[in-house]
Amino acid sequence: MDRRDFVKIGAAIGGALVASEALAQGAPEKNAGKRARRPGPFPGGQPAVVTPNGATLKLVEKDGVKIGHLVAMPVKHTFTPGLEAECWGYNGRVHGPTIEVVEGDRVRFYVTNRLPEPTTVHWHGVILPCGMDGVAGLTQKPIEPKDTHVYEFTFSKAGTFMYHPHYDEMTQMALGMVGMIVVHPKNPRGPRVDRDFALVTHEWAIRAGARRPDPNEMKDFNVLTFNAKAYPGTEPLVVGKGERVRIRLGNLSAMDHHPIHIHGLAFETTWTDGGEIPVTARHPDTTVLVPTGSVRVIEFVPTESGDWAMHCHMTHHIMNQMGHGFPVMVGANAAAIDKRVQALVPDYMTMGQAGMGGMDDMKMPVPKNSIPMRGGKGPFSTIDMGGMFTILKVRDDPDAEDGKGWYAHPKGTVADKADSTKMKADGIDPDVTF
Amino acid sequence: MKSSLWSGGLSALLVAFSAGCGGGALDTDVRDVNEFLAAHGAGRASGAPARPSVALPSEERWEEDPSEAPKILAKPLHAEAAVRLSLLMNRDLRASMYELGIARGRVVQAGLLPNPEIEVSLRAPQDPFQELQADIGIEYDISRVILMPLRKGAAEAELAAERVRVAGEVLDTAYRARVAFYEVQARQGVLDLRSRALAAFQAGFAAAEELHRVGNLPDVDLATQRAAVEAARIEVAEAENTLLDARERLNLAIGLSGEKTSWTAPDPLPPPEVDTIDAAGGEKKALAASLELAEIAGRMQAAGKRVGMHRAEGRLPHLSGGFHGENDGRAWEIGGHVTVGLPIFDRAQGRVISAQSELGALRERYVATATAVRANLRMAQNRVESAGRRARHYRDALLPAREKALAETLLQYNAMQVGVFQVLETQRRLTEAGIAYTETLLEYWKARAALDQVLAGRHRALGLAPPGVGSAGMGGGAESSAGH
Repeated sequence: MDRRDFVKIGAAIGGALVASEALAQGAPEKNAGKRARRPGPFPGGQPAVVTPNGATLKLVEKDGVKIGHLVAMPVKHTFTPGLEAECWGYNGRVHGPTIEVVEGDRVRFYVTNRLPEPTTVHWHGVILPCGMDGVAGLTQKPIEPKDTHVYEFTFSKAGTFMYHPHYDEMTQMALGMVGMIVVHPKNPRGPRVDRDFALVTHEWAIRAGARRPDPNEMKDFNVLTFNAKAYPGTEPLVVGKGERVRIRLGNLSAMDHHPIHIHGLAFETTWTDGGEIPVTARHPDTTVLVPTGSVRVIEFVPTESGDWAMHCHMTHHIMNQMGHGFPVMVGANAAAIDKRVQALVPDYMTMGQAGMGGMDDMKMPVPKNSIPMRGGKGPFSTIDMGGMFTILKVRDDPDAEDGKGWYAHPKGTVADKADSTKMKADGIDPDVTF
Repeated sequence: MKSSLWSGGLSALLVAFSAGCGGGALDTDVRDVNEFLAAHGAGRASGAPARPSVALPSEERWEEDPSEAPKILAKPLHAEAAVRLSLLMNRDLRASMYELGIARGRVVQAGLLPNPEIEVSLRAPQDPFQELQADIGIEYDISRVILMPLRKGAAEAELAAERVRVAGEVLDTAYRARVAFYEVQARQGVLDLRSRALAAFQAGFAAAEELHRVGNLPDVDLATQRAAVEAARIEVAEAENTLLDARERLNLAIGLSGEKTSWTAPDPLPPPEVDTIDAAGGEKKALAASLELAEIAGRMQAAGKRVGMHRAEGRLPHLSGGFHGENDGRAWEIGGHVTVGLPIFDRAQGRVISAQSELGALRERYVATATAVRANLRMAQNRVESAGRRARHYRDALLPAREKALAETLLQYNAMQVGVFQVLETQRRLTEAGIAYTETLLEYWKARAALDQVLAGRHRALGLAPPGVGSAGMGGGAESSAGH
């Protein structure tokens, strides 16, 4: 029985299944099934994948073959307002559009090279004829500039994969040439999801004030992105409370793995780019490590409304263009330094002596085209995170949200300054020493 | 323009000297030298502005310090004031003026007629019947009278050459004072910049100390910062000593000592001017104006006259004549005589050979000097062009670029990409560029002064040789250390 058949059986059985799925996710039963599930266009009613800040490749079906066109080309890309760079991508985008097909689809991809050097496309994780694997020199001739090659194969397995060049990988991937592939199962198993997102994590070395990522960098990456956007440029993921949500995380960073952490919920890793993880092997997590060159698919049912942080837990990965040449200033007496330095450089001012939070609010003049210490505006104050950070917006009515509004907290549910009387009543001494 | 100023100063100087010597004949020498300078143009680099007057007040007594000097010293010095002071007070220059009197005295001496010689003798005859006999005679060196015009001509030629030499001394004195003043300005500027660099190191050390105090910086970094400060202190001390040396060189050039050495010179070296070098016409001007060539020419003339004089001496039989009176006790017998020395053995061959050799040596020296003048002119022109271009490049390109780099580094600091130590390092690079600019400015102004000096007629002691190159062919000048 496939998903289509399953849906036709009836609401009663379906309702019971949904309730059991919610339990499997640890969600309170009261939240399960509150929302009417809307069937998507893919088998089993699976919804189309949403690529935040991205797009899906247009495919035209002809004679049973889905045909698409990828154009490798230089692209001027904005990571977030204030940082624009000369990158390389596909079809005018960085990263390339998500390819979304169904298991068993035969595809024909034309790849046109408008780069100044040859390229190829490797279909990362896809099992296909060796000659279609896109490794320059090993499985094919490179696609010379201005040439177009055609790849044709069948997606024989469902899953989440990626594509990227296998010619001068260091340069081409460092400049942005990556994309996601979603192959929906022809006969999906397990609970249907309501929201399906694709996020590719990536890292870049863009010196403050420069306009091109440095492909030679091996360790000092200062722009970390979801779908090539650094916070506050990342689009939030808007979902409904009680909905089942799938997030496909791919990592095509040059060097780093990313422990992706989501607040306010627990999730299970259901798929890798190698296939589906057996239900019995799954376990709850709040952080999933996505190794470079890998895909991790997580699923969850949020039970708490709100604006929840979703980010890489490497703290430098949620900074924008933080430099590594800055000495530790914490604890220093700025007056002892400023007096002497300002005599020579009047505009100098010691920073960071009380920590680095709030730097965004200082509005120091910085190099053109740079976003160091840039965060986003939050409902309470500046959110002093950047980089690989986005917001999971869990709403009762997600379709009414455009992602720009902030969560309205019920009264008494926001941490705030403690009342001294209440502290004393609770036996808390604010002046306690240790 | 400049030639008239130089000659005016020289004229006043020589007039003052002549008054001090009491000879009065120096008036003629001053006039001759002025005319010489005017005739030779004492040319300037094309397009270069004229310098202020360096003339000495004629009423000053040569043996005393001029009353004008304290007034000049009471104010902050500038280059032309230093030049004027040097012409007022430089004792070597005064000595040269006395040496001119020596030559003048030789001319006078050469023009004096020889004194007659009178011989008186008394004889007591043994014959008791004879009276006491007396002889009287007068002798006169006729040869010397005949040769007197030749000797005087040679002495006058030497005097003329000496006048040119003294005029050159005036130019040299002013040149040394000007260059020494530029050196003072440059060394003051470098000291200021070295002190600024030290302040940058001290600021870095202060930051390091503070960061070390709060546990953010390891000992090695603190020690490194400390070492940099101590090294910078030595550089400041060296700059201080170099400035003191420069001040003493200026004191020496002017002739100052004691309390008079407490002058100040607050102005920095001015920026380079736009020079238009007339490479082709410059050599002609320099050769025409060359006092060294004129001096050698004068000495060649004197040597030529000496050759003629010595030949005449050798060929002319020694002639002397006189009258003789003899009294035999009864009457005087009067007669005359002529003595003729036959030029058989001593025909002054040695003196002729010496004089001819001297003439030949001077002739060769003349050609060598002309070659040196041309080379020094070209060297000065090249140095003015090169140093001027580099100084303008420092001013218009490198220094703004360093300032821009500092501003951008500060932005990078604001962006927390670099730390305070990089900011200070960039500031120090700006300071180092300022030091290099100052050194180049000094090179430029020294080259300008040297070019003016060559075109004014002096090519010696310009100090243009690059490091490691001797001053051979440049007149054997001193101040080799000031050439770059």
